[in-house]
Amino acid sequence: VAKTSLTSPPWPEVKLPDPVEEAKFHAEVVQKVNKMIAAGQYGRLFAVVHFASKQWKITSEDLIMMDNVLEAECGDRIRMEKVLLVGADDFTLIGRPLLGRDLVRVEATVIEKTESWPKINMRFWKRHNYQRKKIIVTPQTVLRINTIEIFPCLS
Amino acid sequence: MVVLSAARWLRSRLTDRFWRGQEGLKYACQSGLGQPAHFRGRKNRCYRLAVRSVRRAFVKSTKARREKKRFLRALWITRIEAASLEHGLKYPAFISNLLKSQVELNRKMIADLAIYEPKTFKSLAALAQRRRQEGFLAALGDGKEPEGIFSRIVHHY
Repeated sequence: VAKTSLTSPPWPEVKLPDPVEEAKFHAEVVQKVNKMIAAGQYGRLFAVVHFASKQWKITSEDLIMMDNVLEAECGDRIRMEKVLLVGADDFTLIGRPLLGRDLVRVEATVIEKTESWPKINMRFWKRHNYQRKKIIVTPQTVLRINTIEIFPCLS
Repeated sequence: MVVLSAARWLRSRLTDRFWRGQEGLKYACQSGLGQPAHFRGRKNRCYRLAVRSVRRAFVKSTKARREKKRFLRALWITRIEAASLEHGLKYPAFISNLLKSQVELNRKMIADLAIYEPKTFKSLAALAQRRRQEGFLAALGDGKEPEGIFSRIVHHY
């Protein structure tokens, strides 16, 4: 049969590695990473956390400021669940989409609750004698990330 | 008003017309420590010109606050595109395959990871590439062949 432009798909031919060997390789990697975590051979950990409808990339001793009110007093310790990604120098654990609660632990403390600088909202139409000026002051909360810990319970 | 000491005539803040003009000028003029003025030329000294400039400045800042979100997203997308091309993937392929593998990082995070954590970004690119290849095989083969490992969907119940 003659070869036309539609006989073979436009992407290059793809060969996936053997599934059995792949499974063995995956199990090996998981074991290795588990051992590394258990032995504590990682340096600084960073995590991507979903908090206050935003994603933050945080490490320990980090300061975070959010434009809303948190129902916690100053000095309260908070545990952040909803961790999307945790990484160190040699390995990263990517969640799909979240990582398990018994795998990562992120602790933070509320440091201060202030208000933002007065932002000015002004609307003006020329030649129509229309101008409105509004001063907006939003509450802000500052958190400090104390620790990020991981536990060797991969499978 | 009754002024007891005629020598020093302090302008009273609420009634004098002078102070009402200063209220608007404070946004434009030089602050006390000799720093350069916010606005250039007579706009930072004369009330009539200053009022117009300050009004325009406020309106522009309100509109810019809404556009800033659009700019930043476009910037992140450009950065992710550049980083993924370094690893041999185009941006639409990268993002769509990442979403299909249920990784829900937003563009701001992926751009930050590409800048500060190159190894993590490389692993994300490899994940997207593998999912893409499994997608191609699934499109050609259609059933009866083993499903790809990275295309399995995780159910959290």
